[in-house]
Amino acid sequence: MTKTIKTSVLRYNPDSDDQPYLQDFDVEYEPGMTVLDVLLYIQDKFDSSLAFRWECRGGQCGSCAVRVNKIARIACRTKVEPDEDLILEPLEKMPVIKDLVNDMSQTIHRMRRIRPYVARDTKPVHPEIIHADQIEKLREIRKCIECSACLSNCPIVHETWDYPGPMIIRQIARLELDPRDVEDRIAMAMNEAVYFCTTCKMCEDICPKSIKIPALAVELLRAKAVEAGYPLDPGQKAFLDEVNKTGRAVTVKDTPLLEGLDKEEFLVDNPRGRVGFFTGCLIDYRMQSTGKALIEVLNRNHIDVIVPKEQWCCASPAFRTGDLKTAHDSARRVTEIFEKASEKYNFDTVVVACAGCGKTLREDHYPFIEEERGTPPNYKVYDMAEYMLDKIGKENIVPPKGEINLKITYHEPCHLGRGQGVYEEPIELLKLIPGVEYIEDQYKNRCCGAGGGVRAGYRDLSQQIANSRKAQIEETGADMVTTECPFCTIQLNDMMKGTEMKVRYIPDLLAESYKKGDE
Amino acid sequence: MDYKTIMCDILVVGAGGAGCRAAIEGANHNLDVIMLSKELLGKAHTSMAEGGLNVSLGNVDPDDNPETHFKDTITGGNYLNNQKLAEILVEDAAQRIFDLEDMGAVFDRTPEGKIAQRPFGKQSWRRTAYASDRTGSEIMVTLVEAIRKTSVRVFDEVFATKLLVTDGKISGVCAVDLKYGDYLVFRAKSVVMATGGAGRIFSVTSNAQLDVGDGYGMAYEAGCDLIDMEMIQFHPTGMVKPESAKGRLVTEAVRGEGGILLNNKGERFMHRYYPEVMELAGRDQVARSIMTEVLEGRGSPDGGAYLSIAHLPKSIVEFRLESMIEQFEDAGIDIREEPMQVSPTAHHFMGGIKTDEDAGTIISGLFASGECTGGLHGGNRLGGNALADTQVYGAISGESAAKYAKSVSHLGVDKKTITKEFERLEAMLNRKDGISPADARGELTELMWEKVQIFRKEEDMQFAVDELRRIEKDVVPNIKVDVPVKRFNPGWHQAMEFVHMVTTARMVAEAAVMRKGSRGAHYRVDADPNEKGYYNIVIKKGKDGKMEMKKEDLVITKITPP
Repeated sequence: MTKTIKTSVLRYNPDSDDQPYLQDFDVEYEPGMTVLDVLLYIQDKFDSSLAFRWECRGGQCGSCAVRVNKIARIACRTKVEPDEDLILEPLEKMPVIKDLVNDMSQTIHRMRRIRPYVARDTKPVHPEIIHADQIEKLREIRKCIECSACLSNCPIVHETWDYPGPMIIRQIARLELDPRDVEDRIAMAMNEAVYFCTTCKMCEDICPKSIKIPALAVELLRAKAVEAGYPLDPGQKAFLDEVNKTGRAVTVKDTPLLEGLDKEEFLVDNPRGRVGFFTGCLIDYRMQSTGKALIEVLNRNHIDVIVPKEQWCCASPAFRTGDLKTAHDSARRVTEIFEKASEKYNFDTVVVACAGCGKTLREDHYPFIEEERGTPPNYKVYDMAEYMLDKIGKENIVPPKGEINLKITYHEPCHLGRGQGVYEEPIELLKLIPGVEYIEDQYKNRCCGAGGGVRAGYRDLSQQIANSRKAQIEETGADMVTTECPFCTIQLNDMMKGTEMKVRYIPDLLAESYKKGDE
Repeated sequence: MDYKTIMCDILVVGAGGAGCRAAIEGANHNLDVIMLSKELLGKAHTSMAEGGLNVSLGNVDPDDNPETHFKDTITGGNYLNNQKLAEILVEDAAQRIFDLEDMGAVFDRTPEGKIAQRPFGKQSWRRTAYASDRTGSEIMVTLVEAIRKTSVRVFDEVFATKLLVTDGKISGVCAVDLKYGDYLVFRAKSVVMATGGAGRIFSVTSNAQLDVGDGYGMAYEAGCDLIDMEMIQFHPTGMVKPESAKGRLVTEAVRGEGGILLNNKGERFMHRYYPEVMELAGRDQVARSIMTEVLEGRGSPDGGAYLSIAHLPKSIVEFRLESMIEQFEDAGIDIREEPMQVSPTAHHFMGGIKTDEDAGTIISGLFASGECTGGLHGGNRLGGNALADTQVYGAISGESAAKYAKSVSHLGVDKKTITKEFERLEAMLNRKDGISPADARGELTELMWEKVQIFRKEEDMQFAVDELRRIEKDVVPNIKVDVPVKRFNPGWHQAMEFVHMVTTARMVAEAAVMRKGSRGAHYRVDADPNEKGYYNIVIKKGKDGKMEMKKEDLVITKITPP
């Protein structure tokens, strides 16, 4: 029997329809089928007037970007799952001409505004000598095919066209990296709001050419801006000054976790493993109970936990905002502290319960240290949920027994999912708790607006993004939203003020269930 | 019939490599240039070119020079090339690649920091400049950047359907705005055709969906000469699987970088056919070799051959063939480890609008460049010469169009002709009964793939000719769009393209029947062994509306055919 895929396509002809509407089609599935094949099938079998763009069918021209189940993708390189229904919609943010065809005028206008070509002030001499290493980074971000998919799901563009979007910021970086271009692209990047990006990495995930836009364009331009002497926003700078002064991005309020703990070693009988715990600033200074909960949860699962008393900020805010001096100093210091501790206490695994720290240790410290001294840090970094599911193993986790009878949804921190590739593990942990009814949020991987220095530097914008996210979370009908990032937690708490929605950190919830089970 | 008239000095029809280059050149002359793009700017087929651009810079092999490039081009073209055009190509290519660099192109480098060059089929030296295996994309992106710097007005998703000729001189074009369905007339002092090829008249092709031969059809109707239309390049290596990717290009750079072809016995079968050059024989030769293996039962399970690069260091494959890795990853193949399955795919039209050294046609004020022109590549185009062609002749056509535009004023246009043209298009929407464009197109592309393919024979081709004459008479006037909506209606777009496909296909088939011997890409299993075939076939629309064909002498400047 042939399989059919239920495909809903958003149809709209503004000449005749008051509103867009979804039309369903049954499409015969064939192995290897792409979204473009589905659209061509519908056009061929049902309606030759179905409007969508395509040209090369090979991921080279960038014509066929549409939203596939809410995420923008290029149709010709997006495989169809035989067991999944499809919803196909035009890109967000750009007006619709018809069906899946967007009006790209605004995008083109924004692109032209940055004078998107190599500007020269002298006539080149031929042949021009350019060495391979001068264009190495440029070559990477040059692969863009201007499909515009990244603009559609960018949380910043969603709120304001003051930010030109990942594709165009990338073009500014492409020109900045070009040794032939003479324009002041840093001033241009500042004028084009390069600091609005939350580094949520949605664009990188969407990009059919896998261009690391946040790292290779946004953070690169910011680092160059700092180097050129542009001051950071006072809100951002305050964090960095604290880091340099105290090793923590925030100031002390209550007794910090590390100060309050009476020892460094939290050992169990017959341990299954041993890990170092990198607390990060917020767990140490603001969420002490979460830190304790994490130690408890790991101990209950027969893991020795080592908590070095002296710790240092991972300097995520510095990496994100371009203060590379602070960033690199911190990376060296953190590496030194944990390498010493790993030798003293004999562990090779470091567990982190903060998405931002985990991402920074893995994606920023690791390559930086490796490049600087030839060898990367001698420990492996795991997110807490990832460690439990993938290292301890689901079958070995001591089941929490205390019931928590709530409808719970999950907010995926950008720097946990796209940042570290940890997608399902936190949800798996939630589902271990008796009584929990897990509610899937189809927008769970959308940015909360806190990251990338945006909450610190542009509170209004951050709040707008948060409000868009709030509506999505509330739409799930859950009683509680959980997450695994202190920064997201703070942002979620702020956005949910005055509502019934509870916000919890997953380790806290687990610890609560264990405790209840003891009683 | 309502329409709007838009004025400009130079109108460029087509926005690929040649069209953009022509528009840039035109704009450099302080003239008002409009460029029509059937697709969004930057999405043209040029972006799909992979391997590179031939230019005898001698950066890697210092002994290379334009003379050798010329010789390779003519022998590769089986001596059918217009040698005057080829001389210009090899002379100007260097300056044009420097232009691209001036505009911002980022080609891969030699250790000295010059443009790197790789080996390609049938070339004496490593001559093909590249940017990994996305050279076409690099050039397209560069040209788009450059266009955005100029005063060129881009009208994208505007489809030209008819050239307007007044007293034997060009006066403008009729066009449809595909977005909203409005009828437009562009009046210009000179027009450049840069409409690309027509791979899409074959059911298996490497071409983008827009490559349906609009330029050939319009030029023919306007009275241009078209040359070498029987010469179709079947690229030897197109993808075989999955079905939806069938025909997608697997760049010649795979073989250039050392890829080998194997049959189902694991034999490197090119030994049998072209032992001296092996995988880097001409594209027509490799295509026939693969097909012979398949026909004799030594093909891969899905009817192709194996192409393997797994013996090369992974780092080289990753740096120089990044798109291929991605393309085959989508098909579940890791080319660093496993062989690809490949078989020939309709790729390039050597033939097209006959042009002179100034890119001029027989219609005053009408110029043409790029794949829509014929004569330069003869019987077989060398890999890497097409991108060079777009830049060299794109620039020449722009320059010529500018000079011409400066010397004339706008001509009048015949309103009756215009009205008739738009009524023709409108009728497709209003017809009560008729044939759906999708069905008509399916029939045509299968017919061409079955009957006018790599191995040709008289009865097949005659059958195709008869069928095409029938289609022209019975189907074309009865094309009916299913949904009568003008706003972005792909059904209507297909219907409007169909007549161009039929005209193009007929020219290909009729010329193929006329050429009795084998030469270049035109290979007959029933070839007349006495026919050397040293002539070009030129086609034009006769006064009585019938297709007229004649043989013309070759244009020879330096190399006399053996």
